[in-house]
Amino acid sequence: MSAAASSTSPFEATPRARRRKLVGRLMEAVCTLAALLAVVVLALVIYAVLRRGLPVLSWSFLTEVPTVDAFGNTSGGIANSIVGTLIITGIATLISVPIGVLIAIFNAEFAPARVANGIRLLLNVLAGVPTIVIGVFIFGLLVVGHGYSAYAASVALSIVMVPIIARSVEEVLATVPGHLREGSLALGATRAKTVVSVILPTATGGIVTATILAVARAAGETAPILFTSSIFANAMSTDPSKAMASLPMTIYLDSQQPSVTAQQQAWAAALVLMALVLLASIAGRLLSLRSRRRIEQSR
Amino acid sequence: MPKLKWLIVPLAVAAVAAGCGGSSSSSSSSSSTGGAGTSSADNSVLVGAGSTFVAPLVAQWEAAYLKTPAAVTITYGAVGSGGGVDAITARSVDFGASDAPLTSDQATACKGCVQIPWALGATTVDYNVQGAPNNLKLTGKVLADIFLGKITSWNDPAIKALNPGASLPATHITPIYRSDGSGTSFVFTDYLSSVDPEWASKVGTSTQPTFPTGTGAEHSSGVIAAMQATNGGITYAETSYIAADSLDYALIQNAAGQYPKPTNGAVLAATTTGTKRPDGTIKLVNPPAANAKAYPLASYTYVIVPKSSPKAATLRAFLNYAVGPTGQAFGPPIGYPALPSSVVAQAKTLIAEIK
Amino acid sequence: MSTEAPTTPAPHHLGRRLRIGDLGLRTLTAAAALLAILTIGLLVWEVLRGAHESISTFGLGFLTSTDWNAVTNVFGARYLLEGTLVTSFFALVIAVPLSIAIGLFLSELAPKALRAPVGMLVELLAAIPSVVLGLWGIIVLGPFISTHIEPWLDDHLGFIPLFSGYASNVGVLPACLILTIMVVPIVSSISRELFNSVPADLKQGALALGATRWEMVRQVAIPQVSAGLVAATMLGFARAVGEAIAVAQVIGAHNASPFGSLFKPAGTLASWIATQFSGSATSLQRSSLYYLALILLTISLVTNVAAQLIVRRIQKRMGVRV
Repeated sequence: MSAAASSTSPFEATPRARRRKLVGRLMEAVCTLAALLAVVVLALVIYAVLRRGLPVLSWSFLTEVPTVDAFGNTSGGIANSIVGTLIITGIATLISVPIGVLIAIFNAEFAPARVANGIRLLLNVLAGVPTIVIGVFIFGLLVVGHGYSAYAASVALSIVMVPIIARSVEEVLATVPGHLREGSLALGATRAKTVVSVILPTATGGIVTATILAVARAAGETAPILFTSSIFANAMSTDPSKAMASLPMTIYLDSQQPSVTAQQQAWAAALVLMALVLLASIAGRLLSLRSRRRIEQSR
Repeated sequence: MPKLKWLIVPLAVAAVAAGCGGSSSSSSSSSSTGGAGTSSADNSVLVGAGSTFVAPLVAQWEAAYLKTPAAVTITYGAVGSGGGVDAITARSVDFGASDAPLTSDQATACKGCVQIPWALGATTVDYNVQGAPNNLKLTGKVLADIFLGKITSWNDPAIKALNPGASLPATHITPIYRSDGSGTSFVFTDYLSSVDPEWASKVGTSTQPTFPTGTGAEHSSGVIAAMQATNGGITYAETSYIAADSLDYALIQNAAGQYPKPTNGAVLAATTTGTKRPDGTIKLVNPPAANAKAYPLASYTYVIVPKSSPKAATLRAFLNYAVGPTGQAFGPPIGYPALPSSVVAQAKTLIAEIK
Repeated sequence: MSTEAPTTPAPHHLGRRLRIGDLGLRTLTAAAALLAILTIGLLVWEVLRGAHESISTFGLGFLTSTDWNAVTNVFGARYLLEGTLVTSFFALVIAVPLSIAIGLFLSELAPKALRAPVGMLVELLAAIPSVVLGLWGIIVLGPFISTHIEPWLDDHLGFIPLFSGYASNVGVLPACLILTIMVVPIVSSISRELFNSVPADLKQGALALGATRWEMVRQVAIPQVSAGLVAATMLGFARAVGEAIAVAQVIGAHNASPFGSLFKPAGTLASWIATQFSGSATSLQRSSLYYLALILLTISLVTNVAAQLIVRRIQKRMGVRV
C-alpha cells in the first residue's frame, strides 16, 4: 500500500476496493435498469394502445353508437360508452365527495384521536377490499329484484372513491396552518363556522385534487360495473335507472371478440379511457404538488 | 365518555337506514315480481338477456320489430344462457333466453317462469389447425376423447382413421370451452353424454360442466376468438359463426354413420325425432339411426318469461311476432331454420299463458 | 367540549345558534363516518349471507377440495387458492426486488432532475386501468409469450416441470406478468418514500466511513426500512390477490392446479368469481362463489390490516408519515 498513491483515497489501489467499487457500480446499473424497465413497459402499453387505437379514432367514432351485425360483430362508435362512463362516474362523484369530505372533517376536527385512528384504519381496509367483492356486494344489495342500473354502478364506484377522497382530504386539512384555525376560533366563530368558512376554502384545492385522483381511479374500474350495469343497449342512454354502457365494460367485452373491428373498438375505447385516466392522474398529481407547496408557503 | 354521546343521533339514523336496506336485500330470494326497475311498465321497451346462440337472430328481430306498428325497442344482452336465467330470475330484464332447460333450482328460483321455444339452430365444432383441411370427419366418441384429453394431437391415429388422405400436422390439440354458464355447453355436453358413456360418467351434462382439460373463455365470441388465436384449437359454437368468421368446422358422424353438414335441412330433419323431457323442453341431439340425414347437434333455444309480467301484452305481441312466420323468416339465411309448425303451436299456447 | 369557547363571551342570543351549528356539523360528519363503518359491516354481512349455504354444506373442506362441478354439485376452492397464491407470489418475487431497485433509483441514484418525472412515470403504471392491461395481455403479451418466451423456457428450463409444456397464449405465466406490472408501482413508490425517510446523517455517516453507495444502501438504508418494505410487499400482495378482471382476461379459466406448468390455463379466486358469477346453475354454485369472495375478502383484509399495523408502528417509532 503505497502512501504515495496518486488517487485521493488510500484504498483505491487494492483489488478488494476495486471489487467493492465494481459491485457498487453494478448495483447502481441494476437499479437504473429496473427503473428503465418500468418506464419501457409503460411505453410499450401506451404505444400499443396508440398504435392500434388511434387509426380507429375519429369524430364519428366518438359520436356514434355501436352497431351489431347479424353475426354479433360490433362496429361503429362508442358514444354511448363515453356518455355512460361520464354519467356513472359523475353520479359516483356526487355521492362520494360530500361523504368523503365529511369523514375527513370528522377525523380532522371532531373525532378523538383513537376514534380517528380507527376510522382511518377502516378506510384503508375499505380501500383494500377487492373491487370484485364490492361488485358482488352491490349486486346482492341493489341489483337483485331491482335490475341493472347506472345508479347501482355509481354506488359501487363511490365505495371505491370515498376512502381515496377521505384520506387525501384529511391530509390536506391537517396541513392547513394552525394559525388560521386558531385565529378564527379566537374571533368567536364556532367549530362549525371555522370549518365551513375558513378551513374548507383553504383546502378547496386539495379537495379538487383528491376528487380528480379518485375519479381517475374509479373511471377505470370494471369489476364493480360487471355486476351492476353489464347488460346494456347499443343505443345512447342517459337514464341512470337503467343499465348504461361504459368504457371499461365495452373494452372488456370487445377484447374477447374474434372480429377485427370489435378488437379495434376495444383499442380505441382503451385509448379514450387511458387518455381520460392518465390525464386526470397527471393533473391530480401536479395539482397536489402545487397546492402542497402553496400551503407550506403560507405557513 | 361524554364525547361519544354525539354519536347517538347519527347512530339512530344509521340503524333505521340499515334496517330499510337490510329488508330489501333479504327479499332477494323472494323476488318481488313488480320490483324490476326496467319493467316500470314502459311498454315501448323490452329488455332481454341470455343466450349467445340466438343473439344473431334476436339482432335481426330488434331491427325489424322497431319498424312494425308496435314500434317497440328491444334491447338484448348476449351474456350467455346462464346470465340470462340469472337476469330473469332477478327480474332485472323482461325476458331471458337460454338453450338449456332450467335446472330444478333455477326453476324454483325463477318463480313461475315458462320456457318457450322460439328458435331452432345447430351447434358446430370449429377448429383452427394450420395445415389441416376443412371439414375433417369426427365421430362422437373421438370428439369426447379430444375434450377428455385422451386424444392430444391432430395426427392421432383415431383422427387419421376417420380422415384417410387428409394431411394432419402433429399439432397439439387445445380444447376450448365456455367458462360462463352456456346453453351451447349444455347442448354440446348433452350430445357427448349421449354418445359416450365415459363422458356421461366423468363430466355429464351441464351449462357449466367441468371440462377436464383445455382453456375456458366467455361467450361464444370469446371461444371463437381464443380458438383463432390458438393453433390446434377446437371449440363449439353456433352455426352462424362459420360464415361470419370463415371458420373451419368438423363433420360429426350421426347415428346412421353419415356426416351431414349443419344445413337447415339437416337441422330440420333432427326435429322429426325429438324426445320430450319432463319439463316440456325437447332434446334433439344424437338423433336415432333411422334419421339418416339429421345433424347430430341440433337444438331448440328458449325464451324464458315470467307467467305474470307487468309488460305481458307487449311480451305476448313480440313473442308471437318472433315465433310467427315474419320473425322466423329471418332465421334460415343465417342458420336458424324455421320452427316446425307443431312447435310453433306449442309456443303460442305457452305465450298465451303470459298475463 | 367547550374548551375552545373564546375568552370573549359570545352574545347570549347567539349561544343556542352556535351550539346547533356545531351539533349539526358534528352529527353530519359523524354520520358520514358511521356510514363508512356500516358499509364495511354490510359488505361482510352480505358476503357471509351469500356464502352461508356453501359454508354449511362444505365447511372448511371447501379449501382443500379440488372439485368444481356443477353437475354433481360439488365445489371446492383448492385449485383456485393455489392459482391465487402462485400468481401473486410469482408477481411478488419479480416485482419486489425490481421495486426496491426502482425505489433506490428514485431516492438515491437518479440525478435530482430526473427523480420527479421518472417517479411519476412509474406511478402512471398504476393508473393504467386493469381492463386495458388485460386487453394488452390478450392481444400483445399473450401471443408474444407463447411465440417467444414459453418455447425458450421449455428448451432451456424444461427439466423443471413448471417451465415445460405446450406454449399457450393464455395461462398462468401471462397472468403472473400482468400482476407484476400492477404490483411494481405500488411497492416502488412506497420504497421510494421509505428510502427518502432514512435520516440523512445515517446515510452520510456510512459514506463518510468509506462505504460505497451500494454498501450504504445494503447495510444502512435497507435494514432501516425493512419493516416498511415488508408492509409494502404485503400491500402489493393484497393488490395482486384482488385483481379479477385482467387475470380473467389472460388466465384461461380452467380449474386445474397451477403447479403442473406455468404455461397451462388455471384460475384464481377473483377471476373465477368474475367469469362464473352470472349464470350459476344451482344455488349451491352461486353460494360457493360467495364463499370464494369470502376467502378473498379474508385474505385481503388480513394482509391489509397487518400491513397497516406495521406502518403504524413505524410511524410511531420514526415520527414519519409514509
